[in-house]
Amino acid sequence: MTDVDATPLVTFKDLTVSYGMLQALGGVSGSFPPGPTGLLGPNGAGKTTLLKALLGFLRPDRGSMTAFGLDPGQKPLEVRRRIGYMPEQDCHLPGMTAGAFVAFAGELSGLPRDEAISRAHEVLYYVGLGEARYRTVDTYSTGMKQRVKLAQALVHDPDLLLLDEPTNGLDPQGREEMLVLISDIVSRRQMSLVLCSHLLRDVERTCENVIVLSQGQVATSGSIAALTGPRRQVYDVRLKGDAAAFLTDLKDKGVEWTEGEDGYRVFLPEGHGPDALFVTAREAGVQVRHLRPGTESLEDVFLRALGHGS
Amino acid sequence: MPIYEQAYRKYEARAEPPFVRFWPITREALRLVLSKRAYIGLMIAAFIPFVVRVVQIYVVTRFPEAGRVLPVDGRLFGEFLNQQIGLTLLLSIFGGSGLIANDLRTGAILVYLSRPLTRRDYVLGKLGVVMGLNLAVTLVPGLLLYLIALGLAPDMFVKWSLAWIAPAVALHSIVISLAVSLLTLAVSALSRSARVAGLALAGLMIGLEIVRGILVAMTDQKLAHVLSVQTDLRAVGNALFGIVSSRGVVVPIVYPVVVLILLALGCLYVLRSRVRAVEIVT
Repeated sequence: MTDVDATPLVTFKDLTVSYGMLQALGGVSGSFPPGPTGLLGPNGAGKTTLLKALLGFLRPDRGSMTAFGLDPGQKPLEVRRRIGYMPEQDCHLPGMTAGAFVAFAGELSGLPRDEAISRAHEVLYYVGLGEARYRTVDTYSTGMKQRVKLAQALVHDPDLLLLDEPTNGLDPQGREEMLVLISDIVSRRQMSLVLCSHLLRDVERTCENVIVLSQGQVATSGSIAALTGPRRQVYDVRLKGDAAAFLTDLKDKGVEWTEGEDGYRVFLPEGHGPDALFVTAREAGVQVRHLRPGTESLEDVFLRALGHGS
Repeated sequence: MPIYEQAYRKYEARAEPPFVRFWPITREALRLVLSKRAYIGLMIAAFIPFVVRVVQIYVVTRFPEAGRVLPVDGRLFGEFLNQQIGLTLLLSIFGGSGLIANDLRTGAILVYLSRPLTRRDYVLGKLGVVMGLNLAVTLVPGLLLYLIALGLAPDMFVKWSLAWIAPAVALHSIVISLAVSLLTLAVSALSRSARVAGLALAGLMIGLEIVRGILVAMTDQKLAHVLSVQTDLRAVGNALFGIVSSRGVVVPIVYPVVVLILLALGCLYVLRSRVRAVEIVT
């Protein structure tokens, strides 16, 4: 559904943000095109900082950022009006029912009171809390609190949804339901979103584009299809013998590899076939006991971007 | 029906936020505070001095000789409002100490600040709650008392020379409410627990009163009186209504006023540094 060439909703260039002496983002550049974009990176990579800069909470030390053609530092209210933000941490108003809370959130976003109440009920049904909407949020389970956070971000029908670790603390079933919801928001509601997560599978499942952050830098970015596409051949290999020599020889030939649970994952550059593996194995004096073609996953891209493996 | 089959309408009309952006914050917080029966009871109790003053005016109009024991003039309103200072503190401790502390604890501050609202809107919204509660037990009964006095004792109060009473009641009520409200919010912003904030506010008030008492007893310095916020507020009331302190303490009005202004600025500084979407620890 996404037109990759469409004007990006958010662009940032050479963005540097610091918390006092600690630099959280060091000159990052990139964009969030319309559609779902994953913001991937280990804890402390600067994902949440980027979202907070986008919301105008943090002023960049250097660089520029535009959202919907506006500078969030200069026009934070106009930008926030078009954004729905689901924070990572718990957030609710003590003593308020889910219905009242979401309606209140809608009103704060500028909806007329009647409209906010009406939409709060619709959105709560949409996220699966219709039956529980008259209960106070304090009594909700973690999964329900995540859903109510999503509802408050959706209530004013934003142009861009920022989801910060939406599956945090959820059991497998809750996580699955949350991912189904996110996919539905993207595919059927045609809403653009930024999914900020350290869970590769969540991003791979719901997003079309990804920006991988590492230590405050953009490690890699682009469409997931292009990043994981068939530009390299991937093989899962199991060996018998001195694997170290084999791997060293591979590295000398410019072939990348990562260690898997039960062998190695080898990435052959374009133009190389599996016979290169057999030749190298023979030279290193090892036996190839298992060779299976694979596809490059986002995890491989992520690990490679972070400098893991060979 | 699976949840993802259920839909919500696309919201087409993108309305501009209301001019008074802080109003929903004030309204919802007031609703939550006033939903507690105990708090309503406390507010009703805060009207007992008002009833006593109405009876005083009534008695003096019926039995003029009682006026020698219970004088009824402009000072009555100042004394009434000075009495209410303690009650505004009590109401603020129970109704206002959690206003920001709870938001910091539950992360709700992000719900507010990720919306098209400024930090000023947020603080104004919360200030509106405590101000509203405090004005409900100062300005409202003060003006009501004045109207009742005009009705019950027109020969005593319907005079141009006493026309200053209503503006003085309004001004003193606003000074009391603003000072107590700002202090309440600042203390609330310094904690993540409503209980801790409430205890801290009570401790601050009682503590300053004790320190003032000790300093006055030890040094006999009249200036030590300005240490107590309640005493400063009473001094403003005394100056506005021409009341001579029964203890014979006369501190030039400029000192309490300066202390109250500094207090307000200090509270605003605390609110400015604590009300943030991002906590920066350096």
